[in-house]
Amino acid sequence: MEFKQQTDYEHKLTWRGWLSFIFIAFSFSGVLAHAGAFSAIDFQVLIGKFGKIGADTFTGKGGVGAREGFMFGLTLMPTVMFALGLIRVVESLGALLAAERLVRPILRPLMGLPGVCGLPLVSSMTSTDVGAALTRQMYDNGQINDKERSTFVAYQYAASGVVTNTFDCGAPLLAISVLPVGIILAVEIVVKIIGANIVRFYLARQEETVSEVSVEGGKA
Amino acid sequence: MSTQDTAAIQPKRSLLEEFMFGAKNGFYLGVEKIIPAMIIAYVLITFLKITGLMAIIGNIISPVMAIFGLPGEAIVALISAFFAKAAGAATAATLYADGTINAIQATILFPATITMGTLIGHFVRCVVTSGTNPKHHPLIIAIPIIDAVLSMFLTRMIISFMGIS
Repeated sequence: MEFKQQTDYEHKLTWRGWLSFIFIAFSFSGVLAHAGAFSAIDFQVLIGKFGKIGADTFTGKGGVGAREGFMFGLTLMPTVMFALGLIRVVESLGALLAAERLVRPILRPLMGLPGVCGLPLVSSMTSTDVGAALTRQMYDNGQINDKERSTFVAYQYAASGVVTNTFDCGAPLLAISVLPVGIILAVEIVVKIIGANIVRFYLARQEETVSEVSVEGGKA
Repeated sequence: MSTQDTAAIQPKRSLLEEFMFGAKNGFYLGVEKIIPAMIIAYVLITFLKITGLMAIIGNIISPVMAIFGLPGEAIVALISAFFAKAAGAATAATLYADGTINAIQATILFPATITMGTLIGHFVRCVVTSGTNPKHHPLIIAIPIIDAVLSMFLTRMIISFMGIS
């Protein structure tokens, strides 16, 4: 029951959670980037542009080394500040709980994990540490077994904190990317799921071979 | 990097306060993680170029990177990513800025630098903290790298499917 207390972040899933989830999904997906008035909720559109000094932005042209690195780093600050502010707001409205409701029923077919992994899974999207701590707790409470834990950790380990990391660590590439950030996130999550399945099926096969060996040993 | 764990302790904030809090965190993250990463990435690239090491590394590895539609020099971004996600992404952006890779190639590198990034640091924070069976560790540590390779194929496929050039 300690587990319950830990996982409920004083939020309940309400219509606000669903609405904020739908909002953030549309905003990051980039589908509304050219949709007239609706483009007002597109993430890339809202980041906006820097003004020009002459033909260039304030970073100028032809810089190299640490000084150029610093200037480029500065240009990323508005993106990261806006993204993390936005993620924080939708998180507080319960968007993660809406995501949890969506993933819970498909966890078993997708990665062979019980539905109880839903909340740690969506938590791991914004925090490596919360995901890892909850996973350990679930094992200690007997809610997942050793193999399920390894499968689940393989999912969490790659790009750990995938949403936050794509926006803060990936900030330099956000402006360059030819794909909307929603597609980049989708690619990351898809390969994370494939990676978890590699562990899932490897461990399942290992178990088969072990039991075969013990059967043969028994005959001999 | 979430502050979710602190959220439970503190009194409820208004939405505006939540936004300001998140944006402030974003600013600190920028100062603590992104700008230092950008500086090391730019200095590293400058060093590799002046010494001519960049061309040598690029030539050796280019047949492998060609599979993903990338020039050999792109490996530098993946190597930096291994140590820190932010450094990997910053290196890819640097390579784009000086014309070594184009925007499409930078996009192919994007999910890969995040997926396989900060492998050692997160091994402790994720794999060890969750108490995973040590017998499974060698397999688990290989997964982000396999994921990164898959992500480069997948991104390349999506880009060509969408007809972006």
